[in-house]
Parts: sequence; C-alpha cells; structure tokens
Amino acid sequence: MRYDAIIIGGGHNGLTAAAYLARVGRKVLVLERRHVLGGAAVTEEVFPGFRFSVCSYVVSLLRPEIIRELDLTRHGLEILPLDGTFTPMPNGDYLWRVNDHARTRREIARHSRIDAEAYDEYGRAMVAMGRFVKPILAMEPADPTSLSPSGLKQLLGLLRRFRQLPPRDQYNQVQLMTMSAVDFLDQWFETDVLKATMSASGIIGTFLGVRSPGTAYVLLHHYMGEIDGAFRSWGLARGGTGAISNAIADAARAAGVEIRTQAPVSRILVRGNRVDGVVLDNGDEIRGTVVASSVDPRLTFERLLDPDLLPDEFAEDIRRYKFRGSSAKVNLALDALPDFTALKGAGPHLRGAISISPSVDYMERAYDDAKYGRFSRRPYMDIVIPSLTDTSVAPPGKHVMSCFVQYAPYALKDGTWDEQREAFGDTVIDTLAEYAPNIRQIIRHRQVVTPLDLERDWSLSEGNIFQGELTLEQLFFLRPAPGWAQYRTPVDNLYMCGSATHPGGGIMGAPGRNAAMRILADRRT
Amino acid sequence: MKTAVVIGAGHNGLTAAFYLARAGVKPIVLEARAEVGGGAVTSEIHPGFHCPALTHEVLLQQRLVREMDLTRHGFEVLRAPARVCSLSPAGHLLIDESSGQTRASITSFSGKDAEAFPAFHTSIQRAASVLASAFEYAPPPIDKPGATDLWNLLKTARAFRSLGRRDAHRLLRWGPMPVADLVHEWFEHELVRATIAAPALTGTMFGPRSAGSSLMLLMREAHRQLAGGNALRVKGGPGAATRALAAAARAAGADIRTSTPVERIVVRDNAVRAIEAAGQTLNADIVVSGADPKTTFLRLIDPSELSPDFAEKMQHYRAAGTVAKVNLALASLPDFGCGADALSGRIQIGPDLDYLERAFDHAKYGEFSAEPWLELTIPSIVDGSLAPAGAHVVSAYVHYAPRTLRADWTTARDVLLANVLNVLERYAPGVRSHVVAAQVVTPLDLERDYGLAGGHIFHGELTLDQLFTMRPLLGHARYATPVAGLYLCGAGTHPGGFLTGASGRLAANAVIAAEI
Repeated sequence: MRYDAIIIGGGHNGLTAAAYLARVGRKVLVLERRHVLGGAAVTEEVFPGFRFSVCSYVVSLLRPEIIRELDLTRHGLEILPLDGTFTPMPNGDYLWRVNDHARTRREIARHSRIDAEAYDEYGRAMVAMGRFVKPILAMEPADPTSLSPSGLKQLLGLLRRFRQLPPRDQYNQVQLMTMSAVDFLDQWFETDVLKATMSASGIIGTFLGVRSPGTAYVLLHHYMGEIDGAFRSWGLARGGTGAISNAIADAARAAGVEIRTQAPVSRILVRGNRVDGVVLDNGDEIRGTVVASSVDPRLTFERLLDPDLLPDEFAEDIRRYKFRGSSAKVNLALDALPDFTALKGAGPHLRGAISISPSVDYMERAYDDAKYGRFSRRPYMDIVIPSLTDTSVAPPGKHVMSCFVQYAPYALKDGTWDEQREAFGDTVIDTLAEYAPNIRQIIRHRQVVTPLDLERDWSLSEGNIFQGELTLEQLFFLRPAPGWAQYRTPVDNLYMCGSATHPGGGIMGAPGRNAAMRILADRRT
Repeated sequence: MKTAVVIGAGHNGLTAAFYLARAGVKPIVLEARAEVGGGAVTSEIHPGFHCPALTHEVLLQQRLVREMDLTRHGFEVLRAPARVCSLSPAGHLLIDESSGQTRASITSFSGKDAEAFPAFHTSIQRAASVLASAFEYAPPPIDKPGATDLWNLLKTARAFRSLGRRDAHRLLRWGPMPVADLVHEWFEHELVRATIAAPALTGTMFGPRSAGSSLMLLMREAHRQLAGGNALRVKGGPGAATRALAAAARAAGADIRTSTPVERIVVRDNAVRAIEAAGQTLNADIVVSGADPKTTFLRLIDPSELSPDFAEKMQHYRAAGTVAKVNLALASLPDFGCGADALSGRIQIGPDLDYLERAFDHAKYGEFSAEPWLELTIPSIVDGSLAPAGAHVVSAYVHYAPRTLRADWTTARDVLLANVLNVLERYAPGVRSHVVAAQVVTPLDLERDYGLAGGHIFHGELTLDQLFTMRPLLGHARYATPVAGLYLCGAGTHPGGFLTGASGRLAANAVIAAEI
C-alpha cells in the first residue's frame, strides 16, 4: 500500500499541509513522534488539574484563509481575546495598553502627550504597511538569481506595488525592513517604557537585541491581525494552543487524513533521487509518493536523510543555517493571582499580556548577557495567565501562568542547561518578585522548559522556536536555503512544510498551506 | 552664466568643483577652515610631526586620479608592503601583498583558515565588484526611472548575473548578515575572524553581531577596488591628496576661498538665492553642499523653507558619531614585536570578536570601553616626510566613542587617551615613554571643528536604511533636493562615506545634467 503523501511531524504546519492535500482527494498519512499532536502548539496537563500551553502560548498570525477554508471554527477552534499589555516598572509606575483605543491614548498621555498623538498615527501607518506585506505571506518566494519569468514577474509585481504606495508609506516600509526596532520607534516615540515594550516583539525568538538592525520588521506582525478584520488574530485559544492543533487535526481527519502518534520516523527512504517513503523507529517501512517534512532542516536533511544524497552546496547551506535558540518557557501553577506593586489587585490588567520590559537599556542588557553565553540576569518576559480568560485550564480558584523568557541562549558558556535549569528558574522568579512580591508564596508547581528541552522533547534543533532564526538572511527566498525556498528539496518529491520555510514561525499555518499548494501544483503537471 | 557655490572644500566638494569647472561653471568654493581638505587633512600635531588629523585611509577613485590629472598636481602614491597586521597576546597575524607570506602567517594560527582564506577573499572581491558597479552612477529614481537609469541598473544586474548562482546567493545572504556570522562560516580562529571582521565596523554603530555589518565589509572592499585595490598611502598624508584635488579644481577654474564659513543658504520661493558667508552675501543660482545633510538642511536653511515632512525625516536621519581619533607623535617606532614592514599597513588591535563586541557594548549605554579596539596606521614608516628622522606619527581610530556620552567629552577626552595608551602599552611595552605629543579628536570636536553634525565621519550611518536610493532619504537620493538649485555632494549621498570623491563626481554630473 502506498500513500500519496506522508507528512513527517504532526505540528500545526504538518497538519495544515495534510488537510489541504486530503481535501482534494489525496491519501495522506501524518506521523507524529510524540504521544500528542501539535508539536510546539500543544496543551499538556503538566501538573494534575493544570493544563499548560507548554511552548507556544498565544495565537499569533493564524491565517484567516486557513480558518475559513478548513472550517476550523466548526472543528472546535475558539479564540479568546487577550486584551492589552501591562508593563510594570521598577519605580512603581506602569504602562498599560489595551484594545480600547481611547483608553490607551489616555494612558500613554500620562507618560507623554506627544506619544499619545503619535500612537494613533503609528497605528495607521502600521496598518498600511501590513496591507503591503500581507500578500507576501501567501507567496512562494522565487529565486532572484534564476531570473525565471515567473520569478521576475513576482519581483516586478512587488516593485510595482511598492511604487504605488504613497511616498510616506514607501519611506516607512524600507525603514521597517532594514532598521532596528529601537531606531524605528525612536522616530515616533519618546517614552522609554513604551519603546521597550513595543520593541520586544521584534526580538521574540531571535538571537538579536532590540537595537540590532532587522528587528523592526517584526513590529508589523502585531498589526497584521487588525487587517484581518473582525477575527481577532491575537489571542488565546480556548483549551490552550493545543486546541488549535486539535482543530486542524480534526479538519484533517474529516478530510480523510490518517494520523498516527508515537510513530517516530527514523529515516526517509530514497530510491534513485526520488523519495519512496519512510522507515519508522520500529522498522516499519511505509511507502509514499510524496514525503513532506514539517520538522526543521537539520533533522530532515542531516538525520532523516543520508547527507551524501544531497548536493554539496545544499548540504553546506543546511549546515550553516542558523538556529541558536534564545528563549525558554517557565510555566507556573499558582494558588492565587500575582499582585503587582505597580497596580494592585486582580484587575483586568492581568487578563492581557504582562511584559517585563521596563526600559530599552534593560532589554539590551538582557541581550548582552546572552551574547557571551549566559542567560539574562534580568530577562525580558512575556507573561500570560490564560486561566483568567479560560477557566478550563486550571482547578477552580487556581491559575496557570505562562512566562516566555528571553534570553536563554542554547549554547551556554558554563555548564549545561540541565545543570542551570533551576538557577534559571530562580532568576525568573527573582525577576518577577521585583514587580509582584507575592509570587514566591503562590507558586504551587514550576516547570522550566529550556532550549535543550525544546530540542530533546520537541525536536527543535538548538531549541529555536521558529525552526531557525527569523533574520533577513534567512527569510523569503533565502529560507531555509538560497534557491530552495519553494518548499521543494534536492530530492525529488521530498518537500518541506514547516516553520523553516517561508514565511516562517509562529502559529501561522502559512508554510503548511503554501507547501501543500506547491505539492499539488507539481503533481498536476 | 549661472553662479555656482560649493559649500565645503572637503574631498567631495573639491571633486564636484573640478567637474563643474570643467563643464564651464566656475564655482566658488567656500571653506570654513583655514585649509582645504575637510576631514582629509594632515596636521602638524607637534613641530616636525605631521599626522592625518582624521581619516588615514585614502580611497580616491582611480578615475578621479586620472580625469583630474592629480599626479600633475602633486599627488604621489607610496607603496606599503603590508595590508593588515593584527596584534594579539599570542602574536601577530599579517596579511600582506604576498599570498605566500599571508598563508604562512594565517597557518601559524590555523591551517584550516589559511586554506579557506583565498576562496573567501575571491568570493568577497567578486561580491564587492557588483556593489562597485553600483557606486559608479546615481541611484535610480523609484517612481519613473529613465533610460540611463535602467541602463545602469542593467549593468549592475549583469554584474550580478556574472557572479553565478553560488556567489549571487552569497551576496544576497551576506548583505543583511552580521559580520560575526560571516567570518564564523569561513574561519575557526578568533584572531583571523576578528581581523577580517573589524573593517566592517568602522564609523558606524555596529558591533560584530549587528545585522547589516557584512554589507559594510563589502562596501569597503568595493571602494578599495575602485581605488585600484587597496587604500592608498599618499605622500604627505590625506592632506596632500586633498591639496592635489584643490589644485586640480583651481586649474580647471574653481575659486576656492578658505576661512569663509557659510552661515546661511538663502532660500526664497523654494529656490536658492544666495549664500551668506563670513558676513557677506553672495548671490547664487546653484548651491552644491558638501556639508552633511543635517547641517545643510537643519542648520544652514531656515526651517520654514522646508516642508514639515522633509524636515522631520531629516531630523530622523541617523548621524551620531561612534569614532574618536588619537594622534601621537613618537620619538621612535613602537615595538609591537614585528618589523617596520609589517607595520606599514593597517594595524589592528582587537584580537577576538568578543573583544570587539564588548567595546561596542559600552557605546550603547553612552560610555566608552576601557579596552577600545584600535585601528592604527604609522604613515611615517613609508613616508619619511611626516616626522623627523627616526621619529614617527601614529594615527589611531578609537572604537567606540559615542557622540552622546553620559559623561562630558571635555573631561572624558583624557580618559580616552589614557585608555588608548594603556592598550598600546600592552602590545608595545615602553611606548608611553616615547610619546612626544598627543592629540585627541572626539566626536564633539568633529562636530564643532569640522562641522560634522553628530560628529559622524561618514556624514550619517552607513546602514541598509540609509544607503543607495535611501541616502540620505528615499526619494532624495539623486543629489538634487526639494529646494530648486540646491544639491548635496557630500558623503551623506550615494555611495557615501570614505575618502573616495565618488559623491562629488556623481553630484556634479547631476548638477550639469539639470542646470547646464
């Protein structure tokens, strides 16, 4: 028996690709190594009664077309609002931005009237920029060195669209693509804590500081959601991020996809230069006409394939593809809510994101530590308490708190992550305690997910949450390797469909969908 | 005939003046300082000791040397056997004209790196040649490029195509990459990595791990190619080079007036009318400013004459200096443990990437490092005319020295000098006792004495967002400005930075095409 397509990895991208292939009648098998689906978009009951979005914790940019086409709402997807970002400051003040525009304006005006004015203008500019960038997400990037007619058409099309932008938007666009988040924000705002908090989105998951060029672009992603209209693309999934994966899996199954968990692939079978199927850890051979790997390129090409099968240049490009995970997660099971000195009580400020980013220098110093191979002594943190919005994830009266922590460099100068795990966890708690002194008393359980854990347990090389750094030299037609950004690989009928392909990481689903389109287009001819 | 005034007798202003004069406009060049040269001057820092006051890297384009017939005007290039001598506690790495010696020197640190070096060098040169082709014309307008613009772009596209896919991909990848990553991909020894990476970091707020720094390495290489392959060691220092430029411009008909600081560009109805300089008003139909963009628009022009949008963008043009200069008069050659020949090129003190990065860290917080990374030259080794017999001058770029310090530059300058001498003393024991005189030029001095806004040696950061069609601003990269008759010709325009004269020539072309 032979499948039309075998998908390696049951993360959200693998499942998305599978669903799209099955919808047009392909016979598809998804193989997942772990006992649960979802990859890093997974909900697990780490401590009895406490269910955590262990890795990825917010819905970032799940493509609306995927929600629509796969009818994910019918399959149980429900996105709950994550309203606002609360940034406590060491001086006892705070910054609190919410979706209610007027209120955010008043709040920013408390820090700077000029910034409050600029904030509106900034929002409008970003929405305009987002409109320009959005179609690129669904695009299959052509290789500009090949000068193929379709590639040239794509480039000229982009150029034409760029030229049609008003001059002010052109100016903003080139700045966004090239500048550092802080340099960009410096042009708009004067309030340090505002700039620090906004710039944080530019560094999430990358080994760059907020002052590193190339970080401004990611600021856009926060505004893309607004363009998607009524659907709120920033939020929490009811039941945790695993619920997103489950909804996609449900849609895939409904389309006829067969999904196996605890079915680790040990090798990709190649005959001649054509893929022939996969071998599982238990020795089972499964034949497939097409194999699409949603795991990262290092695992796909260096572990599952015999590297000798690959052209030297491609093998070299995969070797130098940069992962360097820089973030970790600390998941806390709480007996009560944290009480922030800056804004006491269990107010609505706890229902959004809580950002530990009091100043630009704070962010930059956190990065400085990591550059020399140690975790930040005072890290940047993005915290959510999903149990406030979704009571299904914790026992009554109890809470789960998810802390995304940066920087936690995969390569430590001293010791291993297994040795440093608790010291790191303590650093996170110490940092939190500076803003919410009751934190130590309310922690019932603590789970520290280090970059090494992400590598070992989630098969993310070097613990990179995006399956490879989202830096300019690894984006668009360069992701994951120059000349190989079209989801194809040097092995016939072997495809890539994970976050290591355009347009990259986050719970977006676009790589899975784009790859499925490529596979279908190739099989048609 | 139209009256043209060039602001500033730096290398770009002088070059522009030459080409304008040759085209029949006899420009008046107004220079604030007592001598020509702007940032490219040789000053007597102590009786008998002549040192490049600021820049010590002359990269005048070969075509300028030829077209301006500079040799006839006293321009003489001396040969320096070494390119780079990079010092470290474990000994020095020497890259010179001889590939055999270079290989042997790299091998003493890493055989693998010695293997990799020639291929790396070739690849960099090939990638840089594509940039060099784009340094030869004005950036195309993005709204409606003309036939010439398309032709120029086609030339660059052809150069890009001729790279072949492998090097073409490399160029695209390298552009936005941190130089630390680039050297990591090729080399294993830290001294080799740091030596090759350092030139990417000069003059811009870049550490080795800053994205975009690799492009700077390629740009510097491209400028070298257009200058004939390497930095030129000019007899008499950079000041002699700019004096030759001035002589050529005068011979072509330019009227150069020193000690004539421009106070204001008089603009009416969105067109230049006159220049106010040294208390006098000169009528002008054309003004070509060699001053940096911020000085030109924010200091010399009444802001009410500019659109608020343009003025705001100009405010945001990034031009905060990062380099200080220390010039030393020494009674003898410092003993770095290597011979005079090895020291005849650039001398690099910054033995590993972390050292460079740490020096950079301080600058981010408005401080400078106690362990600066230094790029030195000892021009007197090949040019005996610069110092008394047996004595020498040392010209040092000191990184990083942020324009905005938490402390005050007037007091911090002594600390900076002490830091530099401490580092030098470590590599050349006893050097301190041979110091006859020392000169410190801080970014604040660059701003006050040389008229560089923000004290930025390149008239603005050389980062992706301020290059090519975006230098100085998107939509204003073709030397013409929103003010009719006003042009920019300084390093704040494409192809920016370094002592090349390129901006001056391209700006003059733009003026000639539009006004004559």
